[in-house]
Amino acid sequence: MMPESVSRTVRLTTPPGDVNTVHDFLVDVWHEASTVSEIDRMSIETALIELAANVMQHADSDGAGLACEFAIVIDDEAIAITVRDTGEPGEIQLVGAEMPELDAESGRGLALITALVDDVAYSQEDGNNVWRLRRSRVATA
Amino acid sequence: MNIEMVDGPGGVVVLRPAGRLNMVAAPAVREAVNSIVDSGRSRIAVDLSGVDFIDSSGLGALISGLKSTRQAGGDLRIAGANDQVKLVLSLTNLERVLTPYDTVENAYGDA
Repeated sequence: MMPESVSRTVRLTTPPGDVNTVHDFLVDVWHEASTVSEIDRMSIETALIELAANVMQHADSDGAGLACEFAIVIDDEAIAITVRDTGEPGEIQLVGAEMPELDAESGRGLALITALVDDVAYSQEDGNNVWRLRRSRVATA
Repeated sequence: MNIEMVDGPGGVVVLRPAGRLNMVAAPAVREAVNSIVDSGRSRIAVDLSGVDFIDSSGLGALISGLKSTRQAGGDLRIAGANDQVKLVLSLTNLERVLTPYDTVENAYGDA
């Protein structure tokens, strides 16, 4: 049998696209990648929606639409996500992102992402913000 | 997000959000809790059995509700969380203040 590899991309402008657009895309991806374990799905879904929310919050700052691209590649070893947007250069601190106090109403997103995936990287490429997440797959029984 | 609101046992108000509790849906949960507290009731159970996903915005709405109900002398408790919700509660350490009960009845079983 050939090794499984699934590669899908969705492009959207927000608004009107929102985190539900990204979530619907991921639901479709899981239909095609049937061997991905439940814990991997949950982890990637949560990490991607947190990242999408973060990107889209910045889009609201000047009221103009923000173009973003979400790509996922699944192979036997890992699930890799790449997110590109045309927003302002990110000021987002990823390294050492810590959970806030228990009564805080925000500020958990980036700490959650780093807890859910193995690698997180941010760079600026050709004027775009580029995020890369990677999670090694948990073997299914 | 459509949020069902029903009277539960012991004067508890039960909120039943459905679907994804994300940045799009979170404001509706905050508003629902605020409207209950404004009406003079402060014991709320959030039945999450219809919620298939929560993110940090959704958690923020629950924490906001926890604070406002407690300030009013009540509490906000959660029930029926699925595995994704429990995972996120665990990673954020929030299960310490938002204990996931199996059912709404158990959430206020000590009342």
